[in-house]
Amino acid sequence: MNGWNLSSDLAAYLPVLMVCVMAIVFAAINIVASLLLGPKAEGAVKGMSYESGMDPIGTTHKRFNVRFYILAMTFLLFDIEIIFLYPWALAFTKLEPGSAEAGLFLARIGVFVGTSVIAYVYAWKKGVFRFD
Amino acid sequence: MVDMSQTVALLAPEIVLFVASMLVAVLGLSRSTGIRSLVPWVCVAALVGSILALDAVWTPERIQGARLLFPMLGKYGKALIALIGIGLVAVSAGSIDRRYEEAVARGRASFDALRVVRGEYYAFLLLSLTGAMLVMSAPDLIWLFLGLELVSLPTYIMVAVARTGRRSMEAAMKYFFLGALATAVTLYGFAMLYGATGTMQLIAMRDVLAEQAAGPGLSTTALLGTILTVLGLCFKLAAVPMHFYAPDVYEGAPLPVTAFLSFTPKIAGFSALITVLGAVGWSGHAMVDHDGVRIAYEGLPQPVTAVLWMVAALTMVLGNIGGILQTSLKRTLAYSSIANSGYMLVGVIVGPKGGIGAMYLFMLGYGVMTIATFGVLAALERKGEEVDSFESLAGLRAAHPGLAFLLTVSALSLLGVPPLFGALAKIVLVFVAFEGGQASLAAVLLLNTAIGAVYYLRFVGAAVVNPQNAKSQEVVAIPHWWPKTAAIVAGLGLIVLPAFLSRLVDASATTVDGYVDLGEAVASETER
Repeated sequence: MNGWNLSSDLAAYLPVLMVCVMAIVFAAINIVASLLLGPKAEGAVKGMSYESGMDPIGTTHKRFNVRFYILAMTFLLFDIEIIFLYPWALAFTKLEPGSAEAGLFLARIGVFVGTSVIAYVYAWKKGVFRFD
Repeated sequence: MVDMSQTVALLAPEIVLFVASMLVAVLGLSRSTGIRSLVPWVCVAALVGSILALDAVWTPERIQGARLLFPMLGKYGKALIALIGIGLVAVSAGSIDRRYEEAVARGRASFDALRVVRGEYYAFLLLSLTGAMLVMSAPDLIWLFLGLELVSLPTYIMVAVARTGRRSMEAAMKYFFLGALATAVTLYGFAMLYGATGTMQLIAMRDVLAEQAAGPGLSTTALLGTILTVLGLCFKLAAVPMHFYAPDVYEGAPLPVTAFLSFTPKIAGFSALITVLGAVGWSGHAMVDHDGVRIAYEGLPQPVTAVLWMVAALTMVLGNIGGILQTSLKRTLAYSSIANSGYMLVGVIVGPKGGIGAMYLFMLGYGVMTIATFGVLAALERKGEEVDSFESLAGLRAAHPGLAFLLTVSALSLLGVPPLFGALAKIVLVFVAFEGGQASLAAVLLLNTAIGAVYYLRFVGAAVVNPQNAKSQEVVAIPHWWPKTAAIVAGLGLIVLPAFLSRLVDASATTVDGYVDLGEAVASETER
């Protein structure tokens, strides 16, 4: 079984192991230290949701219209798609104007924006933005 | 970057399907019933278009630029995906949204975009087929992974979206979580392969592994990575040890989705499997004994062969034995699908010298049989529900002789009765296994064909021999011609295709054209 050099293969993972151990030790020290050293003040005020803010009004288990969630998800989707434009714009300015590479980059983002527009049309027709 | 335009041109079939999926998603929400009923036609047109595009773009110069490990795989494989895809669209066309569309047509419900799923269903179907095609033209592991994800993600939604019910929700959740687990295992394998070779490019990876094989042998990391990848991909194939989900998910999913699941992830999984194994190589490996003497052997590295051998044998045996114990048609077909994966794995183990070609030939037969079987079942209903028990099929011959005949043909073909196509594909596979030195697996395959007879003949018995009962008298044909047509075409295909066997064998053998195995890569390495 020549060539099965397990030890040298796994030696490369030693730093990973060390980071894992450090993470566990660090977390353990912090939890134990705060248990031992932290001041303890129990009571009704301490247990409130916003201890030093406004007094809460009503229950937290309030029901929202499900359409808010759909709209929120749609917002997130398009929001993240917009974020993708920033790194593209930064890279695009570094390319030589009019070169084949620049054209390719433009075509790529064109496809990307095009699919976003179709997604928007789809969401509109599906009635995501209707609140009647 | 150099040959970007060539690579993009090579993806024309995928681009056609992608554009069609966008179109279909929007068309499916149209207020006009006429436009909505166009959706399956658009899908069929796109799939035909992708076959034509494939024929136009898959030229030798373009493939050179793409640097693929299996340069000719796409030519046969993508055409196969599109062809069976047309059948899968036809199987779906009668049942997706049918209740709702009927209610709208009779004026009992007004059109509500939120309740229509037709557009989404077909868009996801096309996207998943696109993913399966992308897997076949993967030059590196990242592309391969993204292709596999594009196959799977739409199927998770398809299981849940096409029928609202607790069982399909449960099936979708199970499928999703187990799929995520399997994906993680595959990725772990990919990461180890990268760690062992320092490259994601499959061709470069093969060259590095060829150097290792010529020297001290493949590193442990490379072998572990290969085995983990194989085990992760077993989920896509529905092979042991990742087969547990299949019966539950196939049963909970709507019938057309079950048909889709039994073909698309499987062909994508097998293509991914041979792409990764292609970098590991079916030749050029050697064992070094205690005296330091190299003993070269044919085939995959021994640990990989051992794992694949066990996976194949167990998949065949457990699939067929599980199939005997079922009463639900869909669960039986799920076990049949598991067993068929086991048969095809035999071809993968044998490798590029005939094995992979035989595997893709069998895949063609399996796809056609899937369309025939599910087409018949999708053309029937009982009290507005899917037909899902042998009891309901009893006496089908009296009520629907044509459908009973087609079901008999496809069941006998799945079982392997000559001269039907399924049988001939299986014989080619057995033959190749004997020639490739896998006689034991060939024996297991033949034994399992005998075990499988028990449940495949139950289809025949129910449809042709048994008399009608109270339950099966309520079974009626659905008022749509799509699934029936698919079943007729596929059923006739099983009878007619054997006439073209030698040409189909040649065509499926082209999948490995241009592939340089590890042994040959080693030889060219030493010449330099």
